[in-house]
This record gives sequence, structure tokens and C-alpha cells, in this order.
Amino acid sequence: MKKKSINAIKLGLFVLAGLSLLIFALYLLGKNKTFFGNRFELKAHFRDVNGLLVGNNVRFSGIDVGSVQSIRIVNDTVIEVTLNLNREIKSFIRNNAEASIGTDGLIGNRVVNIEPKGGSTPFVNGGEMLPTREEVRTEQMLQTLSKTNQTVAKISEEVLATVQMVRNSSELSSLLNDKTLSYNLRASLQNLHTTTKNASVLMENAVSTFKLASEGNGTIATLLTDTTLALEVRQLVTQINTLERSADRLVKDLNGVIESVEKDINQGEGSVNALMRDSVMADRLRATIENAERGTAAFAEDMEALKSNFLFRRYFKKLEKKAAKEKEKELSN
Amino acid sequence: MFNQGTDIKTFLNETGEIFRFALRFFREGFRPRYEVDEFLRQCFVIGYKSFPLVALTAFIIGLVLTMQLRPSMVNYGVEVQIPAMVGVAIVREIGPILTALIFAGKIGSSIGAELGSMKVTEQIDAMEVSGTNPFKYLVVTRSLAAMLMLPTLVILADAIALYGSYLGVNIYEPLTFKLFFKKVFDNLAYIDVIPAFIKTFFFGFAVGIVGSYKGYYSEKGTEGVGLSANSSVVVSSVLIFIIDLIAVQIADLFQ
Repeated sequence: MKKKSINAIKLGLFVLAGLSLLIFALYLLGKNKTFFGNRFELKAHFRDVNGLLVGNNVRFSGIDVGSVQSIRIVNDTVIEVTLNLNREIKSFIRNNAEASIGTDGLIGNRVVNIEPKGGSTPFVNGGEMLPTREEVRTEQMLQTLSKTNQTVAKISEEVLATVQMVRNSSELSSLLNDKTLSYNLRASLQNLHTTTKNASVLMENAVSTFKLASEGNGTIATLLTDTTLALEVRQLVTQINTLERSADRLVKDLNGVIESVEKDINQGEGSVNALMRDSVMADRLRATIENAERGTAAFAEDMEALKSNFLFRRYFKKLEKKAAKEKEKELSN
Repeated sequence: MFNQGTDIKTFLNETGEIFRFALRFFREGFRPRYEVDEFLRQCFVIGYKSFPLVALTAFIIGLVLTMQLRPSMVNYGVEVQIPAMVGVAIVREIGPILTALIFAGKIGSSIGAELGSMKVTEQIDAMEVSGTNPFKYLVVTRSLAAMLMLPTLVILADAIALYGSYLGVNIYEPLTFKLFFKKVFDNLAYIDVIPAFIKTFFFGFAVGIVGSYKGYYSEKGTEGVGLSANSSVVVSSVLIFIIDLIAVQIADLFQ
């Protein structure tokens, strides 16, 4: 009988160990699930759940706080995901927290991320609809990447072409390979450097000179500081002013002379007017001119008579022939 | 051809006989009177006495599985997932099937040999004469004990195998037991544990009933005892795999 009771104890221990392990394991597994009442629900609408499954984890700021309870298709563009969350987290999730579907690691399970957005909106009560954000999908990312790649390829082609052009251009390469250029450039820079150095020395000298001058020694200083000189200059200026005034007067006098001359001419006094206004003399001049005209006409008659004279006829004919010949020559040309 | 036909006939006959034997177990097992003392003794022998062997194999398989998996996991850069992967492998498949096979080797053969020797020495017939129901006293107690003890053994074996795996991970990198534990259980769900747990009842029952059948109908004297011990191990092992195949498909329906 004694042996039997020892057996029973061992057997009991053995069975109890097995059972307690089983219960413990089931409890641990149930901790993540809706097993006890300490849970509440939130909902979120997505357009694409990206392979999310019932039972996937829900994270609030990276902490596991629950799991996906159900995924239901509402219509062709809306999928309702019900989240089952730990009650303890209720006093931390605000109404404006954003739900999004992400991945645990690079190739891990899908997770629903709830991200707090701050502000002072009220905390959730359970059953609310959370705003959602669509995550960038890998395919979309790859599409954008391929577009970028194409652009980069184009750019690199063009850069290559440019580089080849630069390489093929003899002028540019000779410019680049020219060693004297760099030497000259360096020399120029050196000169510039010395010039600026000299300039600065000059400036320093100038500054010291001005300083000396303002301190009151030498001719410049007296020039700059002498008050009597300024008085003389002022007197000079006033004299120049009076000179100008007398010149003005001279011009006025001249004007008066010219005006009196004009008056003389118009009103018929003095020798000039007499010269201009003598009508007798004008008549005489006209008669003289008429006589001259008559004389020339008579001369022309005499000349015609001379032409028809047999002594001079031959000469005139010769002249006519010569003129005709020249005219013909001109026409033929 | 003739021989083959006889073989098929024998196989079908055997299958039918085992099925009838199993039905008889249910008919007689749920009717009083219950052989409680004998049942508890069988539990002790079948369950408790098998524990060291099962524990050793479970520990070794947990450790070895982890070490064998490690190179591939490192290649993929997911060595952090070793606990999760080993956890699923052990709980879903390796724990139950390995324990059941060890169990079949140890218990199936011992039941077959024990009942076979009782049969050939006509102790079973003597029992019947003395007014004890030999089926109840021998078959029901052993089969029921096997059916209930194997799940217990499997749970303990799972735990020990996971501990072995924990040590296996720690050979290469330090990992706290708490984190290992969390990783294993984060990756497990009811769908992993419960079907695996339920199928072990069937494994245990298969081992118990096949061993009992083979022993109960043992023939040809001492030679028959060895035959029944041998064939009970073979048949119950094959049955374990067939049940496993059915169980995984049923579990898949609930996934």
C-alpha cells in the first residue's frame, strides 16, 4: 500500500505538471486575444489593407496594444478594420490619432500603427472611427524609382555627351592643357597682389599726409587753415562780379548804337539813308542798262551779217560739220 | 498474385478487426464497473515511467533543431526569428509526433508483449473464468491510460524541447529566457496549440488500442509474443502518421 501511494504522488505530480503547463500556455496565448473583458474597440476605414489579417498586431506609438478583430468590406473602396485594444491604452488615444497599415520590419507581418497627432481633442470612448493614412506601397515606391532611374539615365547620357564634346574640342583641351596659361595667371595674380600691396602703402601714406596737413604744418596746412586767404578769394569773386556787370553795360551800349543806326535808315536822316533812297540815281542806272541791251542786240545783228559774208562762210560751215560729226559719234556710242 | 491477394485480404481483415476492437473499447469502457486502481497503475507505468525517455529525446531534439536551423537562418539574416520558428515547429509537429513515436516504441511494444504473453500463457482465459472482465481490466485501462498520458507527455516534452532550444540559441548569442519565451509565444496562436494538443489524444489511443489488440489476439506461443510486440509498434507508428495527416488537414480548415 505504501508503494502505491508513492506512485500516486508521482503520477499526480506528473499529470499536474502537464496540465498546469497547458493552462499556462493557453493563458499566455489568450493574453493577446479577446479572452477577458479588459478590451475596447476602435474602427478605421482603409482603401487597401495590403494583406492585413485578423489577429495582426496593433501598435500605438510602437507599443503592442491589441490586435485586429475583423476586416469587413463595406463597399468597393472602403474596407472597415475593427481593432481590439487594451483598455489601459484608452486614456492615451485621442480622437485625432491616425491609423495606418505598416509592416513589422522589412518582410514581417502587417501591423496597424496608431499614431498620436497631439492637440487637445478628447480621448476615445470606444467604437469611434479613427482617421487613416494610406501608406506608400512598395510597388508604388518601385514605380517612382523606375521613373527616377529613367530620368537619371537620360541625364547621365547628356552629361556623357557633354564630356565627350569637351574632350573632343581641341581649343578647350589646349586651353586646359596650356601650362603657360596657369603660369601667366599666377604671375598676374602676383602682380595684382603687389599692386594691392602698393596701393595699401599709398593709402597709408595719404592718410598720414592728411593727418600731417590737418595738424597744421607746411604750405598745404596753411592753405587749408588760413582765413585771410579765404577773405581775398571772396573779394576776388566780388570783383569778377563787378566786371561782369560792366560787360553787361557795354553790351547794352552796343545795342543802343545799332538801334540808332536802324532808326536813321528807316526815318531818312544821314548819309546812309540818302544813298539808299535817291530815286534819280536809280532812273539813271536803269537807262544805262537799257542802252547796254540795245548795244548787244545790234552786235548780234552784225554777227549774223558776218556769217553770210562769203569771206567767212567757209569757216562757219566747217564749224557746223564738226559739231554734226561729234553728235553722231555720241549716238553710235 | 495469389499471395498478394491474401495479403490485401489480411490487411483489410486486420483493419476491420482493430476497428471492431476499438468500438468494443468504447462499449465496455463507459460501463461500470471501472477498474480505477488498475487504470491509475497503468497511468503511472505508461505516463510517469516514460517521462525520462521522452524528456531526453525532447531536450535533444530542441537543441539539435535550433543548431541545425541556425546556419540557414543566419544566411537569411533572420536569426532573431529562431525562437519563433523553433517554437512553431516544436508545438505544432515535432513535439507531438516525436513523443508519439517514442511512446509507440516503448509503450506499444510493452503492451503488446505483456498482453501477448498473458494470452499465450492463458492468463486471460483464467481471468474470464475467475469472473473478472479481462477486456475491461487489461485493454480499457491500458488504452485509456495511453490516451490520457500521451498528451501530458507531449506538453512536458514541448516545454523541455523549448528549453533545449533556448540553450541552443545561447550557445551562439546571449539571449534572456524572458525574451526567448516572449518571442515563442508572440508567434504562437490557439490554432497552433489546440489542434496539436487534440491530435495527441488520438495518437495515444492508437498506440494503446493497437498494442492491446496485437497482444489480446496473440498466437503461436512465445514466437507470437515477439510478433505482436513488433507489429504493434509498426502498426501504431504508421497509424500515428496517418492520424497526423488527417489532423493537419482538419486544422487547416480552421486556419
